[in-house]
Amino acid sequence: MSEVTSLITYAGWLTWILPIVGAVVTLLLAKVSATARNYGAVLFSFLAAVMALNLLPAALKGDPIFLSVSWIPALQIEASLVIDPLSAFMANVVAWISFLIMVYSLGYMKGDEGLTRYWFFMNYFIGNMLLLVLSNNLLLTFFAWEGVGLSSYMLISHWYHDPKDKWVGDMKRTALGVATAFSPSHAGSKAFVITRIGDIGFLIAILSIYHFTNTFNILGPNSLQSLQVEWMAGLATLGLLVPMLLLLLGGSIGKSAQFPLHEWLPDAMTGPTSVSALIHAATMVNAGVFFIARFSPMLFANIGTYENMLIFFQVVAWIGAITAFIAATQAMVAREVKKVLAYSTISQIGFMVMALGVGGIAMQYASGYFAGIYHLMSQAVFKASLFMAAGALLHAVASRYMWDMGGMRKEMKITFVAMVLASLSLAGIPPFLGFWSKDAILSVALTSGEFGIFALGFITVAITAFYSIRMIGLIFTGKKSENVMKIEKKDRNHFKIPKLMWVPALLLAVVSLVGGIIAPLGFEHRLEAFLVAPLETLASSSPITSQTIFFTAGISLVMVALGGLSAYSLYIRRNVDPQTITKGPLGTLHKFFYNRWYIDPLYYRTMVNGSMAFAGGAYKYFEMGIMDKVNTVIPLAGERLSRLTRNAQTGQLQEYATVLMIAAIVLAFIIMVI
Amino acid sequence: MAAIPILWISILAPILLAPLLYRLGSRTKERTGWIAFAILLYPLAVSTYALLSGKNIVDPLISISPIVGSFGMLTDGLSAPIFFIISLLSAILAVYSIPYMKHRIEAGKGTVPGYGPFYALFVLYFAGMAGTVLSTNLLSFFMFFELMLVPSFFLIALWGYGERVRISFMYLLWTHVGAVILLLGILATGFYGNTFDIGILTGLSGLSPSWIPAGAMKWVGASILLGLLVKMSVFSLHIWLPYAHAEAPTPISAILSPAMVGIGGYAIVRIVGQIYLPFLQDISLFLMGWALVTMVYGGFMALKQDDFKKLLAYSTISQMGYMLLGIASLQPLGITGGIFHYVSHATAKGLLFMIAGSFILQGNGLRSIRRMGGFAKVMPYTAIAGTIGFLTLAGAPPFNGFQSEWMLFKGALSLGLGGLGMSAVMLGIAALASTALTAGYVVWTIRRIFFGPYDATKTKMSDPPHTIIGPLIVLIAVTILLGIFPQVVVGPLYSYATTLLGG
Repeated sequence: MSEVTSLITYAGWLTWILPIVGAVVTLLLAKVSATARNYGAVLFSFLAAVMALNLLPAALKGDPIFLSVSWIPALQIEASLVIDPLSAFMANVVAWISFLIMVYSLGYMKGDEGLTRYWFFMNYFIGNMLLLVLSNNLLLTFFAWEGVGLSSYMLISHWYHDPKDKWVGDMKRTALGVATAFSPSHAGSKAFVITRIGDIGFLIAILSIYHFTNTFNILGPNSLQSLQVEWMAGLATLGLLVPMLLLLLGGSIGKSAQFPLHEWLPDAMTGPTSVSALIHAATMVNAGVFFIARFSPMLFANIGTYENMLIFFQVVAWIGAITAFIAATQAMVAREVKKVLAYSTISQIGFMVMALGVGGIAMQYASGYFAGIYHLMSQAVFKASLFMAAGALLHAVASRYMWDMGGMRKEMKITFVAMVLASLSLAGIPPFLGFWSKDAILSVALTSGEFGIFALGFITVAITAFYSIRMIGLIFTGKKSENVMKIEKKDRNHFKIPKLMWVPALLLAVVSLVGGIIAPLGFEHRLEAFLVAPLETLASSSPITSQTIFFTAGISLVMVALGGLSAYSLYIRRNVDPQTITKGPLGTLHKFFYNRWYIDPLYYRTMVNGSMAFAGGAYKYFEMGIMDKVNTVIPLAGERLSRLTRNAQTGQLQEYATVLMIAAIVLAFIIMVI
Repeated sequence: MAAIPILWISILAPILLAPLLYRLGSRTKERTGWIAFAILLYPLAVSTYALLSGKNIVDPLISISPIVGSFGMLTDGLSAPIFFIISLLSAILAVYSIPYMKHRIEAGKGTVPGYGPFYALFVLYFAGMAGTVLSTNLLSFFMFFELMLVPSFFLIALWGYGERVRISFMYLLWTHVGAVILLLGILATGFYGNTFDIGILTGLSGLSPSWIPAGAMKWVGASILLGLLVKMSVFSLHIWLPYAHAEAPTPISAILSPAMVGIGGYAIVRIVGQIYLPFLQDISLFLMGWALVTMVYGGFMALKQDDFKKLLAYSTISQMGYMLLGIASLQPLGITGGIFHYVSHATAKGLLFMIAGSFILQGNGLRSIRRMGGFAKVMPYTAIAGTIGFLTLAGAPPFNGFQSEWMLFKGALSLGLGGLGMSAVMLGIAALASTALTAGYVVWTIRRIFFGPYDATKTKMSDPPHTIIGPLIVLIAVTILLGIFPQVVVGPLYSYATTLLGG
């Protein structure tokens, strides 16, 4: 027994500490040799994954395990971890996919100048993300949360000297007078600031809750869970319960790139593609979804006590649904392959957030909870694969635009297979994993009875199928673009990609197929039983009927067919020239979507330009115009004085020093006499 | 109680050895810096001991007359971290000054005095700050308060940049006006309390609240507070600061800005908090509002600066707002966070002024951000230090700014949640919201200086010598250690704050 306990203790801590140690070790290994550094970094992420695996047996047993050490004894704050089904599951998703991305990086980032920095922040990123999912202390969670933010900032701006080929967006194009192209350093800063805005809400909320509980622990004895009456009643008396919960949600909205804080993610594509894979599949954007799942059970448990607690779940569901829809429409028109994937991530994360919200509304909390986490996993698998494949394409054709690809089916067979498999999962086509997990979400949405939400959900399913097929069509079918032919003429081997890159991509694509095949054969059922075990008390008395599930699957398939077939005829069969969409009445809509619903330019015009204008005005008219005028009186007097003293000035410092000393002694003397 | 007056020695040794530095300077040239460093190692060792042991150290009290009270030196939860940071910054900046002042003095070509006077004034300046912080008597507090003013005045006037004489006088006058107001308050306190001993006065205010008439308390408390707020350069009393910090020789900016200005905040707790707590409680919310305005105003002004040192100066104003916000909340965690933020800000701003100095040194007086860009490529160590400094200001972990900021904001929020009502809650929320502004100017400045394409034809840059990199590494280490293990500062400080507020 004690041996088991000590094993889990070590595994719990080492899972997140190892990558951080790895980050530091990378700096030292860099002095030895480049190979030692590269493989050392990957090794540490592998060790973390192995440690994460060790968490599973303990989590399967049932009761959560708490590991704590004293952190700030004066305030009785402990660094506390919890190992339960949710954290163990998440840790494995994060650690294993991260490890594959690290392997991929060996090939993708080969020869990059800033590799030491790259490995450092990749491992630091992974370590903080693992800490985030394992943490049982809100302060520690926030610590890791910001660590994730810091690493993403540094990795998105990895090519900080802003070479032109690393930008995203169309150069010279503007929307509402705001440039739509972003350099790496700009995109990194943007990500940092936007996510920080959400994090401020998060911090306000956790500090306010802490005021009533004097503990940051989330679960277990003496925790926010055990003291939920205290803090909820305390906040409710002030009328602040729901406002604070919504502020708490802010952190998740920022990190998970949900409306209205979603605008950082598309531009974050300036980072290396492996970084995008890490952010989109394994780490950052999942943090927000994970946190809602971690925190909301205790909120749902009180939905009967505080009637406006329902508002929280409604807001969550609507934010998810709106985000899923908005982002999907943008993915339909994007020209850059990575941007399609970025919008798609925002949209898919929207589905997960929606799941957690509708679960509360439908009083099917456990089902919503499971559906959200389930989809998180399936998205992580297919999105990592998609990004890895996209990275291979980017290398091969040296362009980020899909129009510079085309007809790549024969040239890059493995990439083609991987990308098609993963895209079908994204599109929600059975029997891929993506179909089952999306179906789980939609059936809860249907049960919730919120017509708007499930309508948006179903429309988005159609759009998702559309843009997935469109992406495949543009890249792999049709005629080869001029760009491809030019490269082909020069060097046919250019399309060959190293094993280190295609193996992880293909592996994950196959996982999303195999996972989908075994899902209805009991896999889904077992996973659900495992994940929702701690939520026993919240389980609904009347589970979602199989009729609902079949009905949802039916509509979902119709929607997929609608979206998928129209994309098929447009982009694979090419019955109509796709360019016609950009003209006529559809063109206006196209432009509206392409300009990101004008949300991004509007932010720039109001927030950024507004702040700068205000600062400029305040500096010119107030600071210099009024405050500094006060000063002209004093400098004038100062000048007079200095002229006076200049007469006494002999240039001899001895004299100053002597005067200084005498003055001090005289002052001391006077005091003593008193 | 220590048998050897280690604290007195920490302060008197530099004062007594200053003439030696002065004499030696012409012979040892820039190496005088090493001698100054050696002298400052003693206080650094003492302050490190004081901080790590977590125990109060009281030096023998020198009693002169019953009216004046006794003079002692004390480190407790409140003064130990501040003493430590002042000693640390002074010691490493003595080393940093070796290449920097060589450059300054050689570039000055005879228009500026040599090494001897510089280092003599430098250690005197240290003694003034440390003495202020350790004093147990209002009179010695004031004497040291003046002692830190005079050397800094000379340091700006003699080795500064631009219109240095004019600006040093502006600095002297502004802070002197503050000091005079402060002195009035101190004298009045002595008049009512019949002693200048801070400890006795604190006891008096706790035991017999009628020691001073309520009407008088308001005025006396206000005059001390006002005097200290000038030093802290809160909004509307700040206009001297951007000039002084920008034009002082950079090692001095690196002390002025983080160490000296914040002493105002320390003294608000030590003097006003301990002696005039009821008065401070009355104006708590008002003071927090003032702090918020300072935070926001400093942040907006920082956005518009092209002179890097001036940007840092405005950022200091904003950061002093943070510190005051925590202190003014009069919550145990708020005061803890506020004073801890002195430490965080000192490490961060120390780093940032030091890299500002590197730019001046390597870029031949380079201060204009417009002429910077892409420096991460050619001065990686400087870039790392600068980024860490900036991120500390933005409260990012694992740096100490993260810890101090959450604590002080918790204090600010607690005031409202604890029953002071919705307006107080909104104030706390607004203060937190304004940190987005800090994040904004921080990443924007990082981007303008270190990121983007590097143009060697515009400005040719490279990392500075080891005597600059070394001090940077020391500060980075402290920043990270305190960010992960804040207990060493927070433990004694929190129990001090709890006792102060009658917990």
